[in-house]
Amino acid sequence: MKGIGLELPRATVGMSRWRRFRAAVDWPLIATMLALCAIGLLNLYSATRGVRHHAKFDTQVQWMIVGAIGFVVVTVVDYRAIVRLAWLGLGVAILALIVARLTGRPASGDTHGVTYRWLNIGGMGIQPSELVKLMTILVLARVFAHGEQTHYTPRMLALRLVAVVVPMMLIAMQPDLGTAVLLFLIVLTVGFLAMPSVWPMVYMTTAALLAVPILWEKLHDYQKDRILGFIDCNSVPGRILDHDLLNNCWHTQQSIYAVGSGKVWGKGFLEGTQNMFNFVPEHWTDFPYSVWGEEWGFVGSVFLLAIFAFLLVWILNVAMSARDRIGAVICIGVAAMTFWHVAVNVAMVLGLAPVVGVTLPFISYGGSSLVTFFLAMGLVANVSLRKHGY
Amino acid sequence: MMIRNTTIRNSVTSSSSYGPALPELHRRLRWVALVGIAAFALLVGRLWQLQVMRGDSYYERTVSNVVKERYLPSVRGQILDRKGAPLAANRPAFNIYMTPKQVTPEILAELTRMLGLGGDEVQQIDERLAVGKKRDAKTAILVLEDQGRDRAALVEQARAKLPGVDVRHEPYRYYPQGELAASLIGYMTQMTAEEADKNGMQNYDPSELVGRYGLESAWENYLRGKKGIERYAVDARGQRLDDKTAASLIQGERVIDPVPGANLVLTLDADLQRLAEKAVSHISAAAVVVVETKTGKIRAVVSKPSFDPNTMTGHLTKAEYTLLMSDPRKPFIDKALRATYPPGSIFKFATAFAALEDGQGAEDENIFCNGEYVLSGTHFNCHGTHGKINLLAAIQHSCDTYFWTLAERVGLDRIGDVARDYGLGAPTNLGLNGDSAGRIPTKSWYEANGRYKVGYATNAAIGQGDVEVTVLQMAMAYAAIANNGTLYVPQVVERVESNDGHVIVSYDSKVAHQVKTPLDAVESWKKGMYLVTNQLGGTAFEHGHIENLTVLGKTGTAEVKKHHREDDKDMDRWNPNAAHAWFAGFAPADDPEIAIVVLAEHGGAGGQVAWPIAKQILEGYFTKIHASSPPPRDMPAVKRLPKEPVIKGDAGQ
Repeated sequence: MKGIGLELPRATVGMSRWRRFRAAVDWPLIATMLALCAIGLLNLYSATRGVRHHAKFDTQVQWMIVGAIGFVVVTVVDYRAIVRLAWLGLGVAILALIVARLTGRPASGDTHGVTYRWLNIGGMGIQPSELVKLMTILVLARVFAHGEQTHYTPRMLALRLVAVVVPMMLIAMQPDLGTAVLLFLIVLTVGFLAMPSVWPMVYMTTAALLAVPILWEKLHDYQKDRILGFIDCNSVPGRILDHDLLNNCWHTQQSIYAVGSGKVWGKGFLEGTQNMFNFVPEHWTDFPYSVWGEEWGFVGSVFLLAIFAFLLVWILNVAMSARDRIGAVICIGVAAMTFWHVAVNVAMVLGLAPVVGVTLPFISYGGSSLVTFFLAMGLVANVSLRKHGY
Repeated sequence: MMIRNTTIRNSVTSSSSYGPALPELHRRLRWVALVGIAAFALLVGRLWQLQVMRGDSYYERTVSNVVKERYLPSVRGQILDRKGAPLAANRPAFNIYMTPKQVTPEILAELTRMLGLGGDEVQQIDERLAVGKKRDAKTAILVLEDQGRDRAALVEQARAKLPGVDVRHEPYRYYPQGELAASLIGYMTQMTAEEADKNGMQNYDPSELVGRYGLESAWENYLRGKKGIERYAVDARGQRLDDKTAASLIQGERVIDPVPGANLVLTLDADLQRLAEKAVSHISAAAVVVVETKTGKIRAVVSKPSFDPNTMTGHLTKAEYTLLMSDPRKPFIDKALRATYPPGSIFKFATAFAALEDGQGAEDENIFCNGEYVLSGTHFNCHGTHGKINLLAAIQHSCDTYFWTLAERVGLDRIGDVARDYGLGAPTNLGLNGDSAGRIPTKSWYEANGRYKVGYATNAAIGQGDVEVTVLQMAMAYAAIANNGTLYVPQVVERVESNDGHVIVSYDSKVAHQVKTPLDAVESWKKGMYLVTNQLGGTAFEHGHIENLTVLGKTGTAEVKKHHREDDKDMDRWNPNAAHAWFAGFAPADDPEIAIVVLAEHGGAGGQVAWPIAKQILEGYFTKIHASSPPPRDMPAVKRLPKEPVIKGDAGQ
């Protein structure tokens, strides 16, 4: 069982194994994560205060405990052992997507008909697409483990590409355009940063951009409306305006009002009226940043962004000091995932991007997203722990 | 570089001491930094724009998202007659309100089915919802007013099924006397979308009724009162939040109580009004004005055909409206205050006074009437051959030749001067329903409009040709004759009272001016009037007279231009080619108390048609109404009255 399980070096002079472990563990990473969790819970408490949603806070705390356990496990088990199971993991994730597709049920609170985002395991709804993100990062770590350009033959790349594009397509068909695009952005980012030559990535990006018009035709009406509505609110036809609360323009507008009304110092904790009286739909899942912005103002909003920025810099730092390519690529993958989640979600809340179902790491309500980010940070902590030949 | 790291297993042996694990990252770090910093700068910049630059305006938006205002209706002031009988009042009604944001087509369909709404009503709801949506989709708007108890109960029961639909109990305008004095009182209708826009700043609500006609319109500012405001909080669905939450969100007063409108107490006498309307019930189009001779206060004013203000106020269907508007008798042109008519012989006082003032005529001067009058080649036919008669007999028989002769002596402009002295040709300043000026033609007017001919004076002398007056003007003129020369400004509002009965404004009768006519000329005219109604051969006398009451009067039969085709005749005895029948007079003779003018539009001969109406009204007034109101103290004895015949001083009892 070499390579799996605890492989901590034996105690050496004057230092116990535990103390060495404690010294090697990436405490700043953990502290940042905990800070984000604390902010997330604080914000969720405000966002879900009221009769209808008060159970969400407890659920989120439970998921945090689950996530923390997952974090510890993923930190402790050597990432090189984990990466060995990457392809298997991606296979399982794809299977989960297919099962979710076959057992599809209407997503609660969603009026767009049946969607296939959720997999029901023992009464819990799990989003397999979150798992796919993690597994894709691990697969990318294996794919880009080689440092020579000659390794990356077109045939080799094409085959790996198919393996990544399949789940992307399945997610897009759910339909969950946001996650599909996000996955694409992760792959692209990792590719640009980890491939010895950037040219294959340039070709791929160009091809993807050329495919946009074709993909556009494949979009659902509501997805087109969301994007059109983002470009110009008046272009959205009546079919969405019939349901005012689903009107995307309204969604974005109210979100902008919420953030803007926070002014410099915010309205104060539990004082956000946009939040309290549900003017921003789904403000606990996809729009928690609007709650934060309304209650804590410009100062709080920038502060939260700064924490995320620190987290990203820290992860990149771990990537740069990783002991091997695999560890570095994993970190780049996690950083890319975190970066795009934050950027897309905040841009959406601020009316700079169309409304898509992309969560804000550690802040958004939802078990799948939360556990995914705990596990992702676990991978980074893992790489960090082992950077000095630990 | 890193040649040994070809497999995953081998990678275990790699170490940072051989250089960076991923040199590509180090090479491209500046790009990473660039993209990262650009992204965060963009987001922070946007936050700056939203929160710091535009924060205040967004803050306002979020407040207006939550805090809504609702008007609390004020109770409209009542309109009461001089004895306090309500002519316009308020009764409780059920109004259905809708909040545009909450009402979906399904809810509308459900409501339509449940209440069995008609096409008109559905259309009305749609129109008003559209108006409401434009203003504020989360504020409830009145869509159906004054619904029956049954409908209200149905909506109340189905509350859960009809979110956004609300029944409120509110005062509704009500006219307890129905059509009585309708054209004076007026009616109310809901504002149109344009008016709502226009009046948006003036504390109006688009669902609000506004006075449209008569006193309701002219005295709107007094009657309306001031609406109260209730400020409350709503959530995103427009659902009202509880008071505790609202109190924490709203600074300042949450409820400002409405101020009820002021009551108008009229000079009008509802009983007399009813009597007058009954007296013209057989006439298809008519006007009556009864004024106090010593104050100019209007005691009754009838314009017929009329309308039911209860129907007009919010209940008029499109079909009914079209029918009313296509009526050739024009029910919405007030026949007493706005419509102008040639006055015919009741105008002759102007000719007589002009001649008497100028010494161009005398009470006992005889003029020969051979039934025809020739002026520079034009033949004018008198309606009879009166032979040698004096002024009094000419008034009695309404001989045209006599007045034509006087007109030839004094000229058109002198007649016009006198007529204007008596208030003709200018608005009376009652300020209601048009209050037309009418027309008293002058030489210069004719010259400006073509050419002056001598014959125009001949026509004007007997109130024909281009002379046009309103019934109210004539009533004021005859009141001035009755009181020997004081022309009053007509008055219909006695005082304005607050809701709890305190007098806010009390109006005194207002004198326009003293007429110039010498008293003996007025007396001559009065003597002639006496003959009209009290002596055989008088144009009125043969059509009846009143026991125990001496009325002074003058009849008129004003020819109209016969430009209507024969088939235009219809509308029960209303023939647009027939002459207008007039009667003007006052009573009692020794100390005139009220003046009356009756016009039967296209009614025929004055003596035959108008006088009996006036007779009926005066008879009723002096036997029933006058008797019940405090009698004038110590009737002054008759002083300057005709030497013969003797007029009895027992009038009014």
